[in-house]
Amino acid sequence: MEKPKAIVDEKKCLACGGCISVCPQDALSMCGGRAFVTTSKCISCAICIKTCPIGAIDEEVH
Amino acid sequence: MEFDVVVVGSGPAGSTTARFAAETGAKVLIVERRSEVGVPILCGEGVSQKIDKWNILEGKRWIANKVDGARIFSPDKTMVKISADMAGNETGYVLYRDIFDQELARSAVKVGSKLMLKTEATELLKENGKIVGVKVKKFDDTFEIKADVIVGADGVESKVGKWAGIKTTLKPYDLESCAQYTLTNVDCNNNYCDFYLGNKIAPGGYVWVFPKRKDEANVGIGVLGSLSEKGMALKLLDKFIASHPELKKGEPVRLIAGATPVAEPIETVKDNLILVGDAARHVDPITGGGLTTSLEGGKIAGKTIGNAVKEQRFDKETLSAYEAGWKKAFGKKLHRNYVVKEILLDFDDKTLNMLADSVKDYNFQEFSTLSLVKALVFKHPTLLKKLAPLIKLV
Repeated sequence: MEKPKAIVDEKKCLACGGCISVCPQDALSMCGGRAFVTTSKCISCAICIKTCPIGAIDEEVH
Repeated sequence: MEFDVVVVGSGPAGSTTARFAAETGAKVLIVERRSEVGVPILCGEGVSQKIDKWNILEGKRWIANKVDGARIFSPDKTMVKISADMAGNETGYVLYRDIFDQELARSAVKVGSKLMLKTEATELLKENGKIVGVKVKKFDDTFEIKADVIVGADGVESKVGKWAGIKTTLKPYDLESCAQYTLTNVDCNNNYCDFYLGNKIAPGGYVWVFPKRKDEANVGIGVLGSLSEKGMALKLLDKFIASHPELKKGEPVRLIAGATPVAEPIETVKDNLILVGDAARHVDPITGGGLTTSLEGGKIAGKTIGNAVKEQRFDKETLSAYEAGWKKAFGKKLHRNYVVKEILLDFDDKTLNMLADSVKDYNFQEFSTLSLVKALVFKHPTLLKKLAPLIKLV
């Protein structure tokens, strides 16, 4: 089984950009007014999950 | 499409840079990915009154409230009050940040800057390894904007700097994870900006209550990224409000999330590309406030760029006047406050309580380092050891 990757719940995201600023892999971007994870770049460090002030990022096993 | 300068982002730093560059005669375009300047608001909306001295903003429409001072509450709720007359009559405003941002954009446009909404920069344009502009997406159209100078005013999540090879990634230790309600139906007759400290209240940060009017306040929280867990900021904010006798009566009319860099400033000039505002990490690492530095830095950036356009010199040497300028204006302060941030983060609740107890009756009007240190250690001699690294800095 592969490692879980970060996924943004676009219904929760308030587009503050915090996750994008701390991602060490530049795997997050703003897309259509919401944060978006490029799964292929994600290294499962979970920094974005912990940083999100409103808990809009989860991990998901692909 | 060709301009002298393209500014990515229409926040305070971007608009101020654009304005001062355009004032010198440069042809400036601001691109903004959102559909309205200043919206959504991502800010606690508090700012020092020293912005009055710079004459950058016209009128008063952007002011929601002028406060009488600040009150800091330690974990055991000991209050330290700093009123206007104690702080040299310089206190603060609570803003309407949307109007504030639009006012700054308006002054950039008035001197000739162009502004394009719903236009997102997607990458840098390069020719023979040299940056020559940006590629943008506006609705379904993708096109190129050529420019001699590129300004990254794209906020905490700045991509422009990253594209140019500047290390912009923040460590969780250097970011405050924030959430804020605007609560209505709360009594703000005290008219003070309140700050609540404590490792259980807001680990590595604080809760703020900024009165917007007599019955409305911005109530927000910042939690240090390295101490945060999923959704912690909002959970702790809800908890704080529920336990506050006055605030729990309120109802929210706005909820926002936010992220504030509390880092050391980074490299801000790379060839013909420069970073301003949050993108440059021009934020006070203690308070998380970045408006004054964004305006001050933006002005220096705009003038430097205007001068470069006049002379048609876009090398790093010419544009480095910006970096030298902001370092002189506030670079030392940001560095010093970063060191102070690191020291403060080591203080446990007991130390914060002792500190507050020592200075609660201190007369800030007659401030001197020596008298403050005396006040601090008189009541709680053990503080001396804890404060030693701070005293060395003053």
